[in-house]
Order: sequence, then C-alpha cells, then structure tokens
Amino acid sequence: MAEHEKSAGPSTGRRRFLKLSGAAALGVSAPFSLFGARMARAAGGQLRVRIGSDISVLDPALIFQIENQTVASHVYNGLVKYDQATNAITPDLAAEWEVSEDGRTYTFHLKDGVAFHKGYGALKASDVKFSFDRVRDEATGSRYRGQFASIDSVEAPDDRTVVIRLKNANSGFLHKVCAFNQGWIVSEKAVTEKGEAYKLDPIGTGPFIFDSWTAGTSVRMVANPEYFEGAPQIGEVVLRLIKDETASAIALENGEIDIAFALQQPQVIDRLKAADGVTMLSREANNTVNLVLNTTIAPLDDVRVRRAIIHALNRKGLIDGFFMGTKAEAHSVLTPTFQEYSQDVPTYDYDPDKARALLKEAGAEGFEFEIVTVALNPYDKFPVPMADDLNRVGINTKITVLERGAYVEARASGRVKSCITAVVGPPDPDSPLVTLYSTVSFPPGLNTSQYAGVDDLLAAASAEQDLEKRKALYEDVLQKTMEDVPVAPIYADRLFMAHSDKVGGLVQNSLFTVDTYSVSLTE
Amino acid sequence: MRYHLGRTLRQLAVTIFGIVTVAFFLMRAIPGDPALYMLGDFATDASLEALRARLGLDLPVWQQYLLFVERAVTGDLGRSVVTGRPALDEMLAALPWSLSLAVTGLIVAVLLGVPLGIISAIKRGTWVDVVIMFVALLGISFPVFWMGLAAILLFSHKLGIFPALGASTEPGFWVQAHHLVLPAIVLGLSVAAYIARLTRSAMLEVLGQDYIRVARTMGVPEKRIYFRLGLRNALVPILAVIGVTFAWSLGNAILVEVVFSRPGLGSTILKAVLARDYQLVQAGVLILAAGVVLINVALDHLYGVVDPRLRQG
Repeated sequence: MAEHEKSAGPSTGRRRFLKLSGAAALGVSAPFSLFGARMARAAGGQLRVRIGSDISVLDPALIFQIENQTVASHVYNGLVKYDQATNAITPDLAAEWEVSEDGRTYTFHLKDGVAFHKGYGALKASDVKFSFDRVRDEATGSRYRGQFASIDSVEAPDDRTVVIRLKNANSGFLHKVCAFNQGWIVSEKAVTEKGEAYKLDPIGTGPFIFDSWTAGTSVRMVANPEYFEGAPQIGEVVLRLIKDETASAIALENGEIDIAFALQQPQVIDRLKAADGVTMLSREANNTVNLVLNTTIAPLDDVRVRRAIIHALNRKGLIDGFFMGTKAEAHSVLTPTFQEYSQDVPTYDYDPDKARALLKEAGAEGFEFEIVTVALNPYDKFPVPMADDLNRVGINTKITVLERGAYVEARASGRVKSCITAVVGPPDPDSPLVTLYSTVSFPPGLNTSQYAGVDDLLAAASAEQDLEKRKALYEDVLQKTMEDVPVAPIYADRLFMAHSDKVGGLVQNSLFTVDTYSVSLTE
Repeated sequence: MRYHLGRTLRQLAVTIFGIVTVAFFLMRAIPGDPALYMLGDFATDASLEALRARLGLDLPVWQQYLLFVERAVTGDLGRSVVTGRPALDEMLAALPWSLSLAVTGLIVAVLLGVPLGIISAIKRGTWVDVVIMFVALLGISFPVFWMGLAAILLFSHKLGIFPALGASTEPGFWVQAHHLVLPAIVLGLSVAAYIARLTRSAMLEVLGQDYIRVARTMGVPEKRIYFRLGLRNALVPILAVIGVTFAWSLGNAILVEVVFSRPGLGSTILKAVLARDYQLVQAGVLILAAGVVLINVALDHLYGVVDPRLRQG
C-alpha cells in the first residue's frame, strides 16, 4: 500500500460509526437541535446573506468559488486591499510600503496591534512570509502558485517588516499581494497545528471570526470585537445556502434573509427591482464571458473565419433579448472596471453578410463547428441563439453541453473547437489577459485557443514601471488580440445584489463577493 | 429464527456491497477528475499529478477499489477530497434531515393516498372516482420542483403562513417543524397520488374475489366487507408500494431539498458527484443502499404480520 494512501485519512473507527449511526437513527428529532449549541446572539444583530452554493475550502492557498471567497474576505486580510467601491489598492495589514529604484524589492511595514482570531496571537512578519511561501511551495498544491511566479524570495527581517524580492520588475505586483485568494494572510501557528482541519477552520485577522459550518445549510461568522480597524456594526453574519434563485427572492421579500447576492436570472432581478422594501444594487463585474476559438484546428486557424464568427453573432440582440439588458456589451476581455481598460480596439458589428463574405474568402463555407459549454445557468442556454446566428451564415453549429466535471476535463484537453469561458478574478489585468492569451496558460490552463501572439507584450507590460506606458502596452495587447480574435467576447458580466431596507451601508464590489464589514442593521 | 436473521443479514451485506461496488466503478467511469476540480482553471500538469498522487488517484482503479474495501470494512470511508472532513460524518450529518423529510412526507402521502384510493375503489365508475383519479394523475404528472415553487408562492409569499425556506438557522423543535411543513406536503403530495392509484387497484382486485361476493350474498355489512375483508387483504401490495416510495423519497427528495433549501442526503450526494468527491459519494451511496435494503427487510417482516399466509414463505 502506498504511503499516501495510508495517511489520506485517519480511521473513523467502529465506535464512532456506531455513535453516529445512533444519532442518525434518532431521525426526526436530530435536525432540530443541530443549531442549538452556539446561538448566543451578539449585540449588533444578525445579518442573513443568501449564497447559491455550499462552501468548501477556506484555506487561501487552496480556495476557489465565490462563496468560499466571500467567507474568506471576512476572515482574512492581505498586505493591501481593493477599495470596495473604486478597486483602488489601499493599505490593509501593511501601513506603508516602499519599492526600490529598480522596481525589484518591495518592503512592507505592518500595522501594530493586529491579532489573529481565537487567541492565535499577534500578527508577525513571519506569518506573512509563511503564507506566501506556502502558496509558492509545489507540495502545497496551490492553484495560485503561478500568481507568485515573479517572487524570488520573501524575508521577514523583524516582526514588523516584510521584504519581497522579485525576479524582474513587476509594476502590477501589488495586485498579487492584495487581499484576495493568494494574498490572504494565515496564521502560521494555526495552519501548522490544525493540519488538514484548517481547510474548514480558518484563522485570520479579519473583521469576522469563523464560527461554524453546517453542511448544506449555513455558515456563521461572529464579529471580531478587536478588529484593528474597529469592530463591525453587526454582531454576526449567517450565510444561508439557497440554491434556487426564485426561492431566494421570495425569502428576501418575506424577510427570511437580508441580502441576496450573485443574482443571475433576469426574471428574478426584474421581480426584486419592483418589490417593496427591497433595494437592488448593480455594477459591472471584472469579467467578460467569451467564446474561445481553438486556433490550432482548421478552419479556425484562419483569422478570417474567426472574424466571420464574431461578425455573425448578434451580441447586442443577445444582451437585449435573452438577458433582458442585465448584461453589458464587451469590446475586449477587459471591462471598464480595470484601470488598464481601453476602448481603442478593433470592433465587430453584427454583420451576417460580411461574415458570409469572409467565410467565402477563406473557403470555409458550411464548415462543422461546435460550441462546448457547461451545464450551468445561463451558460447552457445562451449558446442556443448564438448557434442560430452562426447557422444563418452557413456555419453548421452544434452545441455540446457538458456537466461541470466533464466540461473542465474536455476544456483542459485543449482539443475542443470552441468553448465558453469566463475568467472571474480581481481587477488585475494579468488575470484575464495572461490566463486567456499567454502560452504559460496552454491547456490544461485556460488558453484553450492556444494563441501565442502576445507573450512579449504581456511580459513588457508587467515589467513596465510607468503606469501610462504600462497602460499603452496593455492597450497594444487588447488591439492585437481583438485583431486576431482567438477569443470572441460575448458580453461583459454585471453583478446584481438585492438587500432589504433594514440593511444600511452595503457597498457592492466588482469581485463577485459580498463584504458586510460596512453594513449596519435597523429594525 | 436465528438462522433466518443470519441469512437476512448476509443477504443484506451482499446487496449493499454490490451496490457500493457498482457505484465505485460508475463514479470512476464518468469523465471528470477531482484534482482538476480542486485546482481548476490554473492547474498545471505538474500540480495535477502531485495532487492526484496525494489523493491516491494515480493508482490503477482496481487498486483503489481494494484499498477502499480494505478500509470500508473497518468503518473508514475516507475523507472528502474537497473539505478534508470524514466522508461518513458529513453524510450522517445530512441523514437526519432526509429522514425527517421522508418520514413526514410519507405520513402525508399515506394519510391522503390510502383513504382516497379506498374511496375511489368503493365509488368505482362514479364521478367521485373520476375526480380522484384525475387529481391523482395531475399529482403524478406535475414535477415536484414546480409544485414546490407553487407552494412557496402561495403559502409563503401570498398567504405568509409558512416560511419559504425548508430549514431554519434558528434552534428549536417548533421552529424547524414549521419550516418542514411545506416540503413535507409537497413531497407527500407527489407520492400520495401514486399511493392512491395503487390502493385503488389493489382494493378493486380484492373486491372482485369470490369470497367477497360470498360475503355479500351472506349479508355481511358493506363497511365490514370494505375494511375487514377488503382493505386487510389489499394491505400487502399497498405496504409494498409504501416501502418503495419511502426508499424513493430518501434518495429523490433532492428536488424538494433544492427548492426549499433544505440540507439532506440527496443534495449532499449531488454536490459530491459534481465535485467528483469520490469518498463522499461512496459514503452517501452506502447509507442510501443500507436504508433501502433495511426498509425492504422490515417490510418483508411486516407482510408476515399483516398476512399470516406469507409467514411460511
């Protein structure tokens, strides 16, 4: 037997099995006591937030999924953070920082009086070093290891100072240590002590302390009275799992929950906009939803065919008709929420005649095309009108809807003709651009188009210290990629979040998460 | 008796083992990779391989299976690859939610379905029969999630009698019971129609027997014919269908669970399948299989109580 097999999980044990079976046999009465133990009410009231999917991993090195990120954003801090409203990078655990002349050394000075939750002691520079080194260590198996690829070393010369040396100058480096995913700081002591259990027992320095998770039902966090920026105004946050969006809308109108976030269905959004006692918030997300075209498969290797496809798609019609105006037009894969956004790119109007002409020119009339997509609302539905558009110009389009596991595997194979991909992440231009266009993201990464045209520009942009020059380089990336169209942006996502009138001070961010630190409740 | 029990237990073990084995290989046969699920979009080949090795997924499937069996016999079903929690614990935590829903749903179904079936049989061919069977047909035809949403809209939103959510984060028996009412009724209704139709045909079959005709000519009162002679003899097929529907409810309450945001085995297994969380799926299938098999064994014994002729068999 291989060693890893033995150590994969300690024995549950027969006695434990019998005990649990006994508990299960109680059947009807057991669920009614599940929440009993820890319901002591905090002074500031309870805020109930709808999440659409259950949580899983809360360890920043391994975290994924907006629900987990929402919990983590309450529990952890980073060296710096995004302003909820403007996406500007502002101090978080680091009071200030300096960048060396050559742009390769970042020195962060930590704030005083920051303490980890549940008695895990004061934050030290060594915790920051530990957090980053852990993500960088291959053995951790972190999905964010590549985000720290530019780091040469992390040092903690004293308890208050963190020095990060980079392999090359990287003007976008602060994005990498921002309070999101790999940028969240964990307690070295807690991670070491808890081991595997840390995945669902996170210890951070944030405004809320993780209290409990009841699988399939809810997550409870309580206010951190010693939070270094002041205690939150609410006593506790309960994230309530409600999968069905219509049910969540009714629960919000009934007052069973206070905030419903990540709303997708146009009908539900419309309904809540009109509901009494409910306020709808909306803003642009940081991502577009795209049709990725595999440039290695004929005739998609011909740029005229790719341009024909984008001309054939009535994207405006899709946004107005299918999405009832709940999405926005996308001109490139960067949305206006990025500082590096530029509208100065080649655009493609809905023009079926031009599409037909381009196909004829390329000798690709009537070719067989396939859109591979995932069985999730709305990704399994909007490709239908898209296929209709393509068929109309003589592209024989078939839609293959795969369940998520099968979809991820198919996409990672790099052999699909086209697929629907959205890159959801922080407002760091590297996030969508490197992910979709760089050769470092070749399958199994997300460069499913296997495009190789902008590696130099991406490297130059990240090394450029001057913000204006950097923006110009990113603009070059956008122009080049929109000329070559390995990726056709279908629409820019918009985020919708509704709250009851009891909720005050809620600021919607563009990160897909919800942050309740600023929230207050009125009765 | 002891011999009988021993034999039953052996059969039980073999059946459950068979089901879990099929589930094990089916899960591995479908496309999708737990490592890819966890590492997602930024996965590199090296990190995928490292994670697969850590989870033991790099071994041939038959070796994984032997390891699984070796551990399972000691009660260790491994840990969820996603959360790292013991798989059995996670499933057993969901079990009470499913049991309470299935039991109350079944009570609703039996209380509605059996009397309606009997009335329909007695009033055979009349408008009462037609109406009941029409309603039953509607009950079977309407999707459960549609009924769930309709119930939420009517009873929760318009009338405000019951909460829209099928489980509360507040403690207390009455609070949770209040939240359970709508899901139980919806689940019960979908099954009640089925039970009503079967009760009707079982009753009709019995009422057509010679001994009923004899009893009638002998002047036995109608009430006695229906309830002492008819229902008692129709009970075995009715019990059989109730048993089957109970097992069905345990596994298929998932739609009700999703619509009413109620935790349970169904939604936990679904979550596990989607995440390719093999260990968690295994634990869920084991519990469901054991539940279904145990219910069937219990029913076999109950038949004997209801109909002494079946005891010898």
